[in-house]
Amino acid sequence: MTGRHPPPPPVHQLVTARSHHLPGPLGDDASVPVELAEVAAAARPDTPPGRATVFEIDALTVAYGPNVAIRDVSLELYRNVITAVIGPSGCGKSTFIRCLNRMSELVPGVQVEGAIRYRGEDLYGPQVDPVEVRRRIGMVFQRPNPFPKSIYDNVAFAPKALGLKDGLDARVEQALRRAALWDEVKDRLKRSALALSGGQQQRLCIARALAVEPEVILLDEPASALDPISTAAIEDLMHELKREFTLVIVTHNMQQAARVADLTAFFSLEEREGERAGVLVEYDETAKIFTHPSDPRTEGYVTGRFG
Amino acid sequence: MRVTFAEELGELEGTLQGEGELVVRSIRAATRALVEDDLELADEVIAFDDDVDARYVAIERGIESLLARQTPVASDLRLVLAMLHVNLHLERMADYCVTVAKLTKLAAAGSSEPRIVANLAEMGVRAEEMTRVALRSFQHRDLVRAEALVDLDELIDRANRRAVEHVLELGADQREWGLRMLVLSRCLERVGDHAVDIGEQTAYLVTGEFREFTDASH
Repeated sequence: MTGRHPPPPPVHQLVTARSHHLPGPLGDDASVPVELAEVAAAARPDTPPGRATVFEIDALTVAYGPNVAIRDVSLELYRNVITAVIGPSGCGKSTFIRCLNRMSELVPGVQVEGAIRYRGEDLYGPQVDPVEVRRRIGMVFQRPNPFPKSIYDNVAFAPKALGLKDGLDARVEQALRRAALWDEVKDRLKRSALALSGGQQQRLCIARALAVEPEVILLDEPASALDPISTAAIEDLMHELKREFTLVIVTHNMQQAARVADLTAFFSLEEREGERAGVLVEYDETAKIFTHPSDPRTEGYVTGRFG
Repeated sequence: MRVTFAEELGELEGTLQGEGELVVRSIRAATRALVEDDLELADEVIAFDDDVDARYVAIERGIESLLARQTPVASDLRLVLAMLHVNLHLERMADYCVTVAKLTKLAAAGSSEPRIVANLAEMGVRAEEMTRVALRSFQHRDLVRAEALVDLDELIDRANRRAVEHVLELGADQREWGLRMLVLSRCLERVGDHAVDIGEQTAYLVTGEFREFTDASH
């Protein structure tokens, strides 16, 4: 498999003690070995050609106490691809992506069963550092949540906390440029982030996630609190970002999924043994989902004839 | 909101089937005008085209509005796209009927040849039947009926080739009339082709796959 981008560092670094100088996808990684995960992905017949597997999710079941949120979800997510997760309220979409960077475990009483392998490595392995996981796999939320600090300090916060103090200005600028916000804020970096518009704040939150050089960006309803113009800006940005990153977006807005995603996963609520839980119904090319879905439940949902 | 949408979609499909009925009547009237040398009926067929065109425009507008407001997906999207095509095919079929009627008027002065007229009458009946089958296949999402159109089309094509042979055998005095009948024959044969195309839209609607029933290059 010949990717257009230099491969990120080997996965075993996930389990090393947090280093101050992890070679990320932007770092000097000329000596990076061929990844086993990619070799394995290339050998698997069901991996679409040209797509490298980033996440392998195998029989994932998540429960909050006695309530099962998602049951037996298995799928693979691919690098430099935008995958949308759609489905009705309560189907476990957010639970699902929160598992991808171990944010789910911040909820008391949560139980996660099954396996998530990130680049071949068990994400929930005992020696994996969840903080490092969240650096590699960033998250952007529904409501823009900038810190009540300056624009600069918002972006610089995480790198500083991780000890990435060298070239901080350049790092902040690059993150803001990648988030398509630099031109709008370069003259007022010391001003409060809270003075930005909602759309700008959301791009700032994306810049904040990018500042620590992640490999994957998870977006949970990133545009649902934004007006159409800001929404379009975020969607354009996603198209730009997928060249370098892997993106997973949860959205209620089906047209947004249709516009931005390469692949779409449809989750639905299913009752089994008196228990309602989210299940993965269909996972396919977005165009297929929106022109000729294979499952009648997907058809019902996307055409609005659901329930 | 989606209830209104479903109703709108249903209404549009009803209008489309109505347009189809008008086309069936046009084909029948155009054929009868030819066989019975009924020039008044030929004029009616020509005027009747305005009714078909009005439906055509109404459906086109309805689909435009539906796409702009409702962003249909999945089977709804396929239905809207298929209706867009079927609408155009029906409008073209009605235009062929107009040409048949005009040629009937032009050829009325010439001396006709009964076996050629009989052959054309058969083609008219077949074209009408094919149009019915195409419309029913679409209405009932009936793939089997849609695919049956290929065999029906072969029959009308054969009749068209027969028309050529018959015209070649005509004497010099009947040649002009014969050439007009060849164009007319070709029009009826094209009506059959459009019926097959409607059947292909039925197949797309049902399966989501674009495919031509027969390769036109054969």
